Amino acid sequence: MTLLALCWILIMVNALTIGGGYAMLPLLQKEIVDKHHWLTNQEFIDAIAVGQITPGPLTVMNAFIGYKLHGLIGAVLAVCSSYLPSIIIVTMVAKHYYAYRESTAVRSAFTGIKPAVIGLLAAVAISLGNASLVDAGTLAIALASFSIITFTKADPTFIILAAGIIGAIFF
Amino acid sequence: MTGQEDRREISFGDLLFVFLKIGTFALGGVYSMLSLFEKELVERKKWLTHDEFVESIAIGQMTPGAPIVNTGICIGYRLRKIKGAFATTIGQIFTGTVLSVILAAFYIKAKDNPMLSSVLKGVGASVVGLLLSVIYRMAKQSVRDYRTGLFAGAAFFCLALFKLNPIGLIIASGILGIIVFGRDRS
Repeated sequence: MTLLALCWILIMVNALTIGGGYAMLPLLQKEIVDKHHWLTNQEFIDAIAVGQITPGPLTVMNAFIGYKLHGLIGAVLAVCSSYLPSIIIVTMVAKHYYAYRESTAVRSAFTGIKPAVIGLLAAVAISLGNASLVDAGTLAIALASFSIITFTKADPTFIILAAGIIGAIFF
Repeated sequence: MTGQEDRREISFGDLLFVFLKIGTFALGGVYSMLSLFEKELVERKKWLTHDEFVESIAIGQMTPGAPIVNTGICIGYRLRKIKGAFATTIGQIFTGTVLSVILAAFYIKAKDNPMLSSVLKGVGASVVGLLLSVIYRMAKQSVRDYRTGLFAGAAFFCLALFKLNPIGLIIASGILGIIVFGRDRS
């Protein structure tokens, strides 16, 4: 049952979020952490880190979540549920691209969804910050990471790995 | 269109292999992947024209799911229909998925290791910084006036204070978007 519920959640989340892998985090956190308690906030952060440091899209973090819940079968089903909606939707859109692009309904819906996703993500950042920013050291790492990633062209993957090394030395 | 001749020879295996390469060596997320896409598919293999490539990126961003995967699906579909869409998806996510599973197995075994928890304490803090940076970048792009600002603020409060369901909030913001912004352009 857990496995079926996870598949359903991933299908819904992937079929409904516009704006990239990060836009999915609020929906995932709500279902996986708050509602079903499959992961703690701390573990959810670790899953995001895994998604970020592995090559490819952030959404491979779903394989991490699936494996943690139900081993290899969980990982495989998580992957299928994450990408099948995309394959179906994108191939349909690709066929009717011009009609889709010119549709006022689609464009105005996106104009509303994109800023809403940012608000949702900000709420997630606060709750994850509560879980992981526990002292001056972690706060300093978060601020430094933010500044470096925002204002330089540094690759987030290396920033996260560097933060891990700093953690190993100082914490 | 150029390259139309060569296209018939692009097989499932060709697509799978090229996207496996892209998915494996594109560390650092979407941007490095896009430049790899362009180099490999447009400049080297000439499977796509630059315009087709740009259009595929646009479709990737306008569809739900991971934009970069969707761009790949779009390219695969163009070249080899539904088989191509599967080839590009599997190729792109394969390496990351395998590594995620390996890391998950290691993570479950070593969870109580004090060294790993120190590493993860640093990593977790850094992820929060990264999230803030993502929010900042997205906000600069999509919060353009007081109305889009209101959408962002309302969504924030609905989730942070009232704990409403984000899936419902996204659907609601889409419908409200049609009502509020639908009259803007016609």
